[in-house]
Amino acid sequence: MQQYKYLIVGGGVAGTTAAGTIRQHDPTGSIAIISDEPHYLYSRIMLSKPNFFLGKIPFDQIWLRDESWYKNKNITFIGGRTVTKLDHQDKLIHLDDNSGIKYEKLLLATGTSPRPLAVPGIEKRGVHYLRTLDQGKGIIESVSTVKHAVAVGGGFISFEMANIMHMSGAEVTIIIRENRFWESILDETASRIVEQAIEQNGVKMIRRAQIDHIDGNINVTGVTLQDGTSIPCDAVICGIGAYCNIDWVKDSGIKIDRGILADQHLQTNLPDIWTAGDVSQFSDPILEEEVQLGNWVNAQEQGRIAGLNMLGTKTPFTFVSFYTSHGFDTSITFIGNVSPQKTSSTIIRHGPTTNQHAQIITVGDQVVGAVLINQTPILQALSKIIASNLNVADKKSQLEDPTFDLNQLTPA
Amino acid sequence: MAIIYLKATLFIFYYFFMSNQIEYKRDQEGSKIAKIVVDRDLCIGAQSCIAPAGATYVMDGENKVIVSDANAATDADLIASAQACPTKAISLYDKDGQPVT
Repeated sequence: MQQYKYLIVGGGVAGTTAAGTIRQHDPTGSIAIISDEPHYLYSRIMLSKPNFFLGKIPFDQIWLRDESWYKNKNITFIGGRTVTKLDHQDKLIHLDDNSGIKYEKLLLATGTSPRPLAVPGIEKRGVHYLRTLDQGKGIIESVSTVKHAVAVGGGFISFEMANIMHMSGAEVTIIIRENRFWESILDETASRIVEQAIEQNGVKMIRRAQIDHIDGNINVTGVTLQDGTSIPCDAVICGIGAYCNIDWVKDSGIKIDRGILADQHLQTNLPDIWTAGDVSQFSDPILEEEVQLGNWVNAQEQGRIAGLNMLGTKTPFTFVSFYTSHGFDTSITFIGNVSPQKTSSTIIRHGPTTNQHAQIITVGDQVVGAVLINQTPILQALSKIIASNLNVADKKSQLEDPTFDLNQLTPA
Repeated sequence: MAIIYLKATLFIFYYFFMSNQIEYKRDQEGSKIAKIVVDRDLCIGAQSCIAPAGATYVMDGENKVIVSDANAATDADLIASAQACPTKAISLYDKDGQPVT
């Protein structure tokens, strides 16, 4: 039976960064990465970027590591294999080909999967999800011929893909269940700025609507809403959220919730098992609650910290991560924790222009997260305010004032 | 003479209008890396580079990365920062112009 000192489940940025970090400090310990995709590390971020999608950047730019990287670092890549069971007593992972791999230290960095749209007709050609490289390739191949696309959901995927489809010349309709775009996180002003940008570009939005079924024989020809409205289209892009596929560890004794639970060192309740990236729901020492974040920089940094801790350190994860989405000449940025479970308040910093807006989210007297619309210049200052655990009890007026330089609150 | 002038003009045109790459010289003693190049067209402001080599980079008003101190990080951290970029906007070169990875 194969055995590795460090076994990593998940070949995305968290798992790969962990492997690289481990190799930096342990030149000889055996390392393997198991991935359900057959590909070496690629940029999932590029999958929804217009320059890449519309062919302005060569396709090969997507590869972030090549074969020589794994070879030179003596990291075994086991691609195209799914894990089926975790047996922590025997320190053993079972794979879908009935083989098993033993480990001394294990990292679970399995990421998320797109939430499936549970309606009849979902299997038709032209219905797309965007998570893996192969799914991205499928959309790229169809993008030039699509005349009318429907994007389902009010989130990053829908926002970015609607923009790309619009740029490629398709007529685009966005269908959301809610009253306004990303209602769960954006406030009314933020939603309005984003919706105006979408609609001013000629993209139609249908609110408070759900798809009843997808029309067509083999290929998609349209969608029918629950109120009976039919919308003809030749592509449907589903961006209705993501979930962690963690059924395979359910009986292992590992503590799970929406993701895999971990302490602030990203260590799980089971010995010698860590978790990182989108799947990790880690204990935030400041908020004293479990936080799960799904963005590239978070996954990268958690991979690094988990790698260090697998080497024997006790490094806490304290990084404030962020993600900016661009579309329709508008940017939406999330910093830190934008939806804390604890009772939170929001400080509104609107302006200086009408299409700029920030929601600064506080728990107690501390800023824990922020949502920015067309406000990337204040991203770093707000990240610093969150990371420094600054008490902002008497700083509300400064946080609200769009002309106040936020850098002054965290002097170097 | 005219050809040389034309070539120079074309080069300047390409450099300023076609390519949006900014070069930063590095002269840290003992370092393999002599130059950091940031492609502003590729940079999407993900800031992945800042985690491994925070003292090297800052973001500008367009949320694109600029190098504030090319000598602030070790070679290993700079390589990690370039590898961390999800759009491969950062390239590193040695004194002979060969890529350092």
